[in-house]
Amino acid sequence: MKYVDEFRDPELGRVLAGEIVNLVEPGRHYKLMEVCGGHTHSIYKFGIDDLLPENVELVHGPGCPVCVIPMGRVDDGIAMAHQPNVIFTCFGDMMRIPGSDGSLLDAKAEGADIRMVYSPLDALRIAKQNPDHDVVFFAIGFETTAPSTALTLKRARMEGVDNFFCMCNHVTIVPPLRALLDSPDMRLDGFVGPGHVSTVVGARPFEFIPSEYEKPIVVAGFEPLDVLQAVEMILRQLSEGRCEVENQYKRVVPYEGNPAALEVLAEVFELRPHFEWRGLGFISQSGLKISEAYADFDAELKYSVPGVRVADPKACQCGEVLKGVIKPFECKVFGTACTPERPIGTCMVSSEGACAAYYNYGRFAREREVV
Amino acid sequence: MTRHVMQCETDHDPHCITCADEAIPLRVLRVDDERGLALCEDASGEHTTIEIALIPPVAPGDGLLAHAGTAIAPLPAEASVR
Repeated sequence: MKYVDEFRDPELGRVLAGEIVNLVEPGRHYKLMEVCGGHTHSIYKFGIDDLLPENVELVHGPGCPVCVIPMGRVDDGIAMAHQPNVIFTCFGDMMRIPGSDGSLLDAKAEGADIRMVYSPLDALRIAKQNPDHDVVFFAIGFETTAPSTALTLKRARMEGVDNFFCMCNHVTIVPPLRALLDSPDMRLDGFVGPGHVSTVVGARPFEFIPSEYEKPIVVAGFEPLDVLQAVEMILRQLSEGRCEVENQYKRVVPYEGNPAALEVLAEVFELRPHFEWRGLGFISQSGLKISEAYADFDAELKYSVPGVRVADPKACQCGEVLKGVIKPFECKVFGTACTPERPIGTCMVSSEGACAAYYNYGRFAREREVV
Repeated sequence: MTRHVMQCETDHDPHCITCADEAIPLRVLRVDDERGLALCEDASGEHTTIEIALIPPVAPGDGLLAHAGTAIAPLPAEASVR
């Protein structure tokens, strides 16, 4: 199949792996961060890390939006779901994220009307089918998902739907990357950039990484050879003493992004002064809220919520995992007290979370060190 | 050991199709220009309604990448939809 088989060709994979070996300087340790959870999934599904030399380490970034949602926001969502006459809608992964007193799934079991949807458009459909209820959509995701929410709010206005509301938890990708680069406990050599976020924002917003921090970044697709090629491109930049934004995923990502999507984002959302990220704390201008023009759809203006900041459970080290400081198996509770069936931290709940990826693909220990 | 423990509804290639930086390739079957929607089909033959306001005009047979019910990029003409 075009654009599938070529990007899964084992022979080409071995050639790329050979080129990577040739680019690596003996004795130097390379730490590359894959920003997005989709890449983490591909790496473990296809065993990409097993093809890399021992001194090339891939660490997982904060690119799973479910993993970075703080407990306080989950509590706020649950409080809205318990309001009388409310149908609360969210994506499937959100259902099991623990708040301070249970998850949305627990709230559903207690009688709250909480429904899983595949898109904001599904939530709007529920609102139209239930005109005597208020339907709240728990919006979450990076710039890949935010245009979908924005278009749905525009559609709700166009169709005169007045019982549809949105609790906006959308976040933006650049501020957490900057926070990671500023973090004193991080030493990264380069980034595998997020592929589908970049279809929306383009590759240009990542130019600060080479220009201010002198690190290479390669925007990459999600097939195994996409990721391997991105690693090869980063290592080639390092070996040639370059640091640039390169676009490995040109078949889908325009350098300037999707102007129609950027326009709708600017119309429907505005930046929050700051937003809390699990493990990373408050980051300036990293979250979106609904703009004044669409304030009548803002669930946070309609319902009062606790709005309390809740500390993560002490045993959970999601913060260090999200920053790439430790590997999931180095967390004290990984695979024992914290499993996908009984998660403590968000990284084990989301199927894109680093801990879940390690667990589901059997990465329980430091196998690579003995290869 | 349980290898695949799914926490959410996933597509055929066990990913969460809604929340991550994922996009699924779809083929356009029918276009409703007036409402800005297209009926699309995925590799398994399942039909979905997709917002098409953010990409250049599409016609039946075209491929697109969709995320959370919205097309975010057209697919090159020769690309297969898995």
